[in-house]
Amino acid sequence: MATSAVAQDVVFALRQKIAKIEGTLAERLVAPADGQPVAGLLVRRNGHASARDFFLPTGVERLDKVLGGGLPKAALTEIHGTETRNAGAAAGLALCLVSGMLKERSRRNDLVLWVGTTEMFREAGLPYAPGLASFFGMSAESLLLAEAPKASDVLWIAEEAARIEEIAAIVVELRGNPRIVDLTATRRLHRRAQDSGRPVFLLRQSAAPEPTAAPVRLVVSPAPANLRQTLLGPLAGSIAAPAFAVEIGKSRTALPGSFILEWNPDARTLAERNPENRVAVVSPSRGRTRPPAQAGAVLAFKPAAAETAGNKPSREQHPAHRRPRRTG
Amino acid sequence: MHPDIDVVEADPEADRRLLEGLADWCDRYTPLVAIDGENGLFLDITGCAHLFGGEKALLADLMARFFHQGFDVRAGLASTPGAAWAAARFATGHILAPGSERNFLSRLPLSALRIDARTKASLESVGLRTVGAIMDGPRAPLVRRFGTELIERLDQALGRLEEAISPRLPVAPLSVERHLADPLSLIDDIERLIGLLAATLKVDLERREEGARALELLLFRVDGMVSRITVGASRPIREPTLVRRLFHERLATLGETIDAGYGFDLVRLSALSTARFDARQADLAGEVEDGGEELAIFADRIGARLGEAAVLEAVPVESHLPERAAPARPYAQEEARKGQVARPARAVQQAGRHPRQVDRPIRLFRQPEPIDVPATEVPDGPPLNFHWRRALHRVARAEGPERIAPEWWREDADAPTRDYYRIEDAEGRRYWLYRQGLYNAQAVPRWFLHGVFA
Repeated sequence: MATSAVAQDVVFALRQKIAKIEGTLAERLVAPADGQPVAGLLVRRNGHASARDFFLPTGVERLDKVLGGGLPKAALTEIHGTETRNAGAAAGLALCLVSGMLKERSRRNDLVLWVGTTEMFREAGLPYAPGLASFFGMSAESLLLAEAPKASDVLWIAEEAARIEEIAAIVVELRGNPRIVDLTATRRLHRRAQDSGRPVFLLRQSAAPEPTAAPVRLVVSPAPANLRQTLLGPLAGSIAAPAFAVEIGKSRTALPGSFILEWNPDARTLAERNPENRVAVVSPSRGRTRPPAQAGAVLAFKPAAAETAGNKPSREQHPAHRRPRRTG
Repeated sequence: MHPDIDVVEADPEADRRLLEGLADWCDRYTPLVAIDGENGLFLDITGCAHLFGGEKALLADLMARFFHQGFDVRAGLASTPGAAWAAARFATGHILAPGSERNFLSRLPLSALRIDARTKASLESVGLRTVGAIMDGPRAPLVRRFGTELIERLDQALGRLEEAISPRLPVAPLSVERHLADPLSLIDDIERLIGLLAATLKVDLERREEGARALELLLFRVDGMVSRITVGASRPIREPTLVRRLFHERLATLGETIDAGYGFDLVRLSALSTARFDARQADLAGEVEDGGEELAIFADRIGARLGEAAVLEAVPVESHLPERAAPARPYAQEEARKGQVARPARAVQQAGRHPRQVDRPIRLFRQPEPIDVPATEVPDGPPLNFHWRRALHRVARAEGPERIAPEWWREDADAPTRDYYRIEDAEGRRYWLYRQGLYNAQAVPRWFLHGVFA
C-alpha cells in the first residue's frame, strides 16, 4: 500500500509539472485537448480503471470538450435547478445522462435509485415510470424510489446504496439548503461514488450555490422546446423534445459556459441546439441497397415518360384529374 | 363523602388499555391469550405448563408476578374455559384435576355458569340456586323455558361441548425465547441476544425449508411492560447476522422510545410470517450467482429504519388513468422473482402500451394540484394563462387535448372526463394539466396540474 501511495504521489507531481510546462490544468492532461481519448491511455484509480471508465460523455461535442472529456463517471455531480418549479428540467437532465449511460450497458437488471425527501416529492411530484419509459426508454422495473422525511436520512440511503452492485446510478434530490448538506456530506458522497465507480447525481432544487466536493456543478433551467417537424415544415404551436439551458457552475477543468441542449428520445442522445441540427422527419427507407440518386443528376428522358418513385402514374398521366366531374 | 377519598371518573378506555397491556404481558406464558369481558383474561396453556415446572408452579409464578406488579388477581386452572372461569371467581388458586369439574361445579351458585342476570334471576325464582340443581335435572324443559344458552354454558363448563378461546393476536408459526435471570437493559446486549435467538430460529426454519418474511421481537420488562418490535424482509431470510442487522437498524431508530427501565427479563423472537426459502448454490469462490441479495438487504435495512414505504418500486398496471397506471408499492423481491418468467411478455406489452407517441410527464403529483384559469381562448381549448402556487404562468404553446375518461368498470365511473393538455409556458417549463369536465350552462369546470415534463 505504501509503495503505491508513493508512486501515486510521484505521478501526481509529474503531472503537475507537465501541466505547468504545457500551460494547462493537470486534470486536462487525462484526455488530450481535442477530447478524443487516446488508445492505451490508462487512468489509475484505486488500482484499476481505464480511460473509458473515467468519463461519462454527454454526447455534446462542445460541452465534452469544455469539461475535458465529459463528466467524471465515478464521482458526485451536482445539478442545480434554479427554482422548485424547474424541477422537471433538472430531473430531466439527470435522466438524460443516466439514460445515455444505461444505453451503453448491456446488463439487464441495472437499477436506478432515486432518493429524495418527502418534501421534495410533495413539491415537485414523484418520478413517473410511464413518463420515464416514453422519454428516456427506462423500464418501470429499473426504477427504485426511496423517500425519507429528513435530508440526513436521504444522504444515509444514498451512501448505503453506493455499495450495491445492482444500482447503476443514484439520483439524490434535495430542496433548498439543508444545513446537513455541507462540504463534508458531499465529500462523503463523492468518496462513495469514487469507490464504487458509479455516478451519483445530486439534484438540488432552488438551492443557493454552496461549497461542494463535487468536481462538476451544472446549473439547469428550462428552455423552450423546438417545434415538431413534419413533412411540410415545422408545426406551429407544437412542443417537440425536451430542451434545457445548461450552465457550468463549477468545474476544475472547464471555463464557465452555457449551452442549450436538446434530448432526442428516440436515439437517447443529447445534442446542442443549432438551426442545422434538425432531426430527420422521415426515416431512411429500408430494404434498399443504395440510396436513391440525387434529383437532376440522371435526367435523360422527358418528364412525361419518367417514372415516379412509388411506381404510380403521375398527376399528368392520371386522366381522372383532368376530366371534369360529372354532376347530376 | 369522606374527605380523603380520591374520586376518579370511570374510564373504560383506559381500563381496556390496561387489560390489553396485561394480556401482552401474559404472552410470556402462552401465545394464546384472549380477553374475556371487561376484567378477565383467558390463557390457553396447553403444552406450555411444563416449561414453567408444571401447572402448579406456573399458576404460582403468575400470581406472584402479578402481586409484585400491584395487582390483585384471582386465577383458576381447569381443563375447560368454563370451569377455569368458575374456579377463578369462586376458588382462587384452585387447580381442577381433569374430570373433577362436575364435582366442583355442583356446589357453586348459578353465577359460576357465565349466564346473564335475567336467566339467573328467573332460575332462582323457581328455587334452582346451584349449578348442581340444574345439572341433573331434565334438560328439555330447561331449554324450552330458558333457551339453549344455559345448557350450552353448562356443557361447555363440563367439557361435553368444545369451547375455543379466540386469541387476540395471531400465533407466530415459530418463536424462540429466553428467560433471563439477570435483566438486560443495554441495547447492545439485546442485539447480541437477538443473534443467539436467531441462530436457534434458523435451525427450525431450516427444518421447515422456510425463511422469515416478517420478524417480531418481544421485550418483556420486569415491571410488566411489553415492547413489540417488528421488521420485514423483502425476501425470506434466516441468517442470524442478517436478522441482527435488521433489528440493529430498527432499534437505532427507536432509540429513546424503548425504555428499558429496570431491564428486560424475557426476550422472544418470533417469525410472524414465513415463506419458502430457495437455497442457492455458491460457486467455488463462495459467491452466490444470483444477484439481488445485497439489494434486498439494503431495502430491508432502509425499511427497518424508515418504515416499510421508504423504498418503493413502480408496478405497471393495465389502466389508462395516469395515477393508476404505475402505482408505487413497497419494494418486495419475492413478487419480482415470481414474475420473472412472465417478464419478457410483460416488457413487450409494456412497449406496446406506451408507444413513443404518447407523451407522459416525468414527474407526477400525488394529488393533482388545482390551478386557477382565468380565461381560455375557446371554451374547450387550452388556457391562455394560469395561476399555480400563487404565480402567474403565461402559456406560450399547448398541445392537446387528450381526453381520458374514467374507467366504467370502477365505482367512480360517473366522474367527469379529463382533457389533458401539454403546456409550455413563456420560460420554457412544460406542464401537464387537465380540465375536469366540460363547459356547460350549469358549472364552470375546474383545472388541475397533474405533472411536469422534462
